[in-house]
Amino acid sequence: MLQYSTTQEDSHLTVTFDGDFDIEATELIQDTIKPMLSDYSIVTINLSKVPFVDSSGMGLLIDLVRSMESSATVVRIAEVREEVFEVFELLQLPEILGEGTFV
Amino acid sequence: MYRREFSQANQSVITDNKTLEREINLAKVIQSKLLNGEKPKLDKDDISGVSIPARLIGGDYFDFYPLPNGRLRVVIGDVMGKGIPAAMLMILTRGAFRTAAESTQGPGETLTAMNNALYKDLRSLSSFVTVFCADWEPSTGAFYYSNAGHSLPIVVRKTSELIEIPKIKGVMLGGLPDQVYKEEKITLQEGDFIFLYTDGIIEARNREGDMYKEGRLIKVLKENVSKTAVEIETVVIDSVTHFTEGVAQRDDITMVSMKVGKDKTDISSFNSPLV
Repeated sequence: MLQYSTTQEDSHLTVTFDGDFDIEATELIQDTIKPMLSDYSIVTINLSKVPFVDSSGMGLLIDLVRSMESSATVVRIAEVREEVFEVFELLQLPEILGEGTFV
Repeated sequence: MYRREFSQANQSVITDNKTLEREINLAKVIQSKLLNGEKPKLDKDDISGVSIPARLIGGDYFDFYPLPNGRLRVVIGDVMGKGIPAAMLMILTRGAFRTAAESTQGPGETLTAMNNALYKDLRSLSSFVTVFCADWEPSTGAFYYSNAGHSLPIVVRKTSELIEIPKIKGVMLGGLPDQVYKEEKITLQEGDFIFLYTDGIIEARNREGDMYKEGRLIKVLKENVSKTAVEIETVVIDSVTHFTEGVAQRDDITMVSMKVGKDKTDISSFNSPLV
């Protein structure tokens, strides 16, 4: 089950996820994470502890980034593991979300 | 009085549940019939496809569409998510494929037309579909292909040698508007086996949480390349089942397999399907 922790510095929030980013994460992302992020101008999503993202998780991630961008929040996805980034590249996630989203 | 009202309410919930169960079962039948329709009969080549949903119904999709020019258009796709929502989008994807297949020249154009047709709906639903589309030309052995974010197929020679096919990338359907999908081509030889699949196979997990992974799949295909397409699919399913040690299937599993016959072949006994 996906867990998360946060660190805050002024209006910059970093959310570090821990566990698989899959369909089981739907409620956590939609009901808890999404509403929480709207208060910040910069959000970093740290995926260093996420070993696996399936297609459902990918959809959640894209939806999360797009909804934050529509509310003018700057979003960065950081420390993606190599094996996860390979899947992101297969799906061309950097092209979809913008190359600058990944740091 | 209270007891009678409670009993009536309880009866109503039971009836609602039965209705829901009946409708889900009907949806399962519809999806199963759409997925497991008539397969094209090739004179020399051996072709098959199977889909096993993780839940009652699933979001994976495969299809065949014989073209007037003698080619056979093949598609395999994976709708984001699982269960009923994914199944609904799978039906949408099927309609887009069949409409596009009829009016487009090659697999790249088909994916472009599918993305154009589906993009707005998928974007508004925050959903995506990965699709691999190919044209098999039996008369020349040419296999033209294009990709929208899907895994590339595995190709094994009859000598069990693994063939590295040219990589091709493309944005998954619903990812970005106005996409142009490139095509690649390989030439297949007699005895070659080509295997298209969705990630439910390689991401299947055992009790320790380990994944089946592509390496195991390639090993199974190489060891069984002399078998028929249907037999190989059965072996793959058995191998995944054995690996997962009874752990519940988490994702839909779908595969399309084709073995090239000895001589040039014609597609017969199959009319272009109606959309």
